[in-house]
Amino acid sequence: MGKAKKITPWLYLLPALLLIAIVIVFPIVYTGYISLTNMSLYNWDDFKIIGLDNYARALFKFDSGFLSALLTTILWTVINMVIQLGVGFFIALGLNAEGLKLKRVYKTLLMVPWAMPAYISILLWRVGMFNPEFGVLNKILTQLGFAKVDFLANNVIAFCSCLVLNLWMALPFMITTIDGALQSVDHDMYEAATLDGAGFWTRVRYITIPGIRQIIAPAAVMTTFITFKQFDIVYLLTQQRGYMTGATLNTVITYAHQNAFVSNNYGLSSAVSMLLFVIIILFSFLTNRSLEEV
Amino acid sequence: MKKYVAFLLAGVLGLSSLAGCGQAQETNTADANQAGTASSAAVTAAAETTASTATSEPAAEPVDIKIWHDGDESIMQTIADRVNTELADDQITVTFEKKTDMPNQLKLYGNDPDNGPDMYFYAHDVLGTFVAMDILSPLSDVTDVDSVLADALPLTVKAGQIDQTQYLLPVYFETLVFIYNKDLWEGEIPSTTEDLYAYMTEHTDEAAGTYAVVNQHTNAYNVSPFINGFGGYILDENGKPGLNDPKTIEAAEYNKKFGQLQADGDYNTVTTLFNEGKAAAIIGGPWLISGIEEAGINYGIVSLADIKLPNGNGMAPFSGIQGAGVLKTALADKKDAIAKVLTAMASPEVGIDLAVKSGCAPANSKSYDDEQVSANEMISAIQKTAETAQPMPNIPEMNVMWTPAESMFVAINKNGEDATQAANEAQQAAEQAIADMK
Repeated sequence: MGKAKKITPWLYLLPALLLIAIVIVFPIVYTGYISLTNMSLYNWDDFKIIGLDNYARALFKFDSGFLSALLTTILWTVINMVIQLGVGFFIALGLNAEGLKLKRVYKTLLMVPWAMPAYISILLWRVGMFNPEFGVLNKILTQLGFAKVDFLANNVIAFCSCLVLNLWMALPFMITTIDGALQSVDHDMYEAATLDGAGFWTRVRYITIPGIRQIIAPAAVMTTFITFKQFDIVYLLTQQRGYMTGATLNTVITYAHQNAFVSNNYGLSSAVSMLLFVIIILFSFLTNRSLEEV
Repeated sequence: MKKYVAFLLAGVLGLSSLAGCGQAQETNTADANQAGTASSAAVTAAAETTASTATSEPAAEPVDIKIWHDGDESIMQTIADRVNTELADDQITVTFEKKTDMPNQLKLYGNDPDNGPDMYFYAHDVLGTFVAMDILSPLSDVTDVDSVLADALPLTVKAGQIDQTQYLLPVYFETLVFIYNKDLWEGEIPSTTEDLYAYMTEHTDEAAGTYAVVNQHTNAYNVSPFINGFGGYILDENGKPGLNDPKTIEAAEYNKKFGQLQADGDYNTVTTLFNEGKAAAIIGGPWLISGIEEAGINYGIVSLADIKLPNGNGMAPFSGIQGAGVLKTALADKKDAIAKVLTAMASPEVGIDLAVKSGCAPANSKSYDDEQVSANEMISAIQKTAETAQPMPNIPEMNVMWTPAESMFVAINKNGEDATQAANEAQQAAEQAIADMK
């Protein structure tokens, strides 16, 4: 291969690589640089490199509170993924059922939660659904003669409330992906299997799941990743200043935010960010490996 | 041919991706060139004018002072209208620009003369943060502070100081008052918190969703009337948290029994309850008035200083002083104009306009001589409360105190935790947060 031919692909790639360097690589490298300095409120312009001191301090942030947050995050991710894949799969199957009328209408309606900005959705749920005085859920409960329930008052009920909201927001993506994947399964196979006497579950197990697995695997991995680093739902529902509900639920990201990012010490916050970055990279290696095994 | 098109498209994409990275200075240079051209033209024109009329005075250059804020736009417009009228002859114009989360924006642009503001307008509690960042100029570097603030209320002047240096020009101040619905409240407003509690017990029906008094009972700002009244504190002037001070704990425990009769206590819930007539009274500030009036509530206002705690002290909320600070970067070109803006902002007329149009309590004591101001119920209540109110701490450490303090009140009021234990945990979190700042 000539020298020019070797360079040409790189020239084509150059704009995209430049964009990636500016948007993704530079912030990470810069955060790494700041993590080695004493940049804070008191050293705003005159900060200097102080070595790994911030990392030594940041490691103290990874205490028992962090471990508990990590366990909560793992539980949160596993439950979310199991329900999203399970419920998403069956809703998508339902949407593909023969003879179902107004399919397009249902599919469009299912897009609504996904199309809404997350911030708006979360605030709407906090005030419109979960609020003890004005929330729809409490209106229904009191109409039925039950006492009011504070859906965000403690960790267990707040976890469940966050879970329901996350499912509402995330299911459309999973349903759409699985729905798309289902279109690629050859219908002749179902007919042949039915003629051979296969029932619904047998067809799902031996035709549908193997047929769509490779298509939904990347979406599942991506969603796992997004769910693991969830911040907005837990923070906005239970922790926002002025709106703390009584739950002390934390994911790793809300924990890091609570313990490092409110201090205006950018060196320390950057060190915590870099450590979180390493944890998430390790997590992504694990999920990528599981993707390769599919 | 395809190859050339591909190269061309790749090049265009590459250039467009970098287009936004251009230095603002280039634009400014262009502007400067234009300005240069314009000023050359002006000089030429001026020279010609001078030649023809040797005695005429050169006109002052127009100056625009950019002020960032994150407050009510109508309040800023009131200030701008008065200041611009007073400074019209000097060709000085102030322009208020609303910036959401202004303190964080100022952290990014406070040192940037091209993209940052000349001044800012905000509450005094973030002052210490900006001073620590070394982006503010002491007012004494710009003007004669003693003369400009000669008529300002001492409470407001002190709030604008860090280490005895004046950095903030106080314009108006606000604090919590007791606002009640005259159509729902039965009898007189109690003069003691114990009588108030008795009234609340009798007139609150949580199951029906009707309340006597609502308050953001886990928000440190709204709990401050109890904390300060009991002699406790959130943060002292040396930056030491006082969440587990015995007086603070006593106040938190006392606040708890009120909190149990005050609904969930978040801002949206309590304001909606009051505005919908489901709560007979609310502890809040002047920022609630426009919503209350829109809701058509027939309201009355009482100073919290008139409601006595069991120790005999009046309730003593935090006060927030709203005012203007000057960015260091603005001094090089606009020092004289800024000095005139500060003088105009400190005038009694600005205070009167703010009081009449927006119900704000002026920092200038002479504004209260105006009949319209002295007759305003909200302003009278705030002025009365100023007797007991304490300015929020303005040192940088205050920034990290709100969250641990709120966590403490949430733990006590909503989770039923022991007050001393919750206070000790919150104190530890606050000390850690302060240590993390350095």
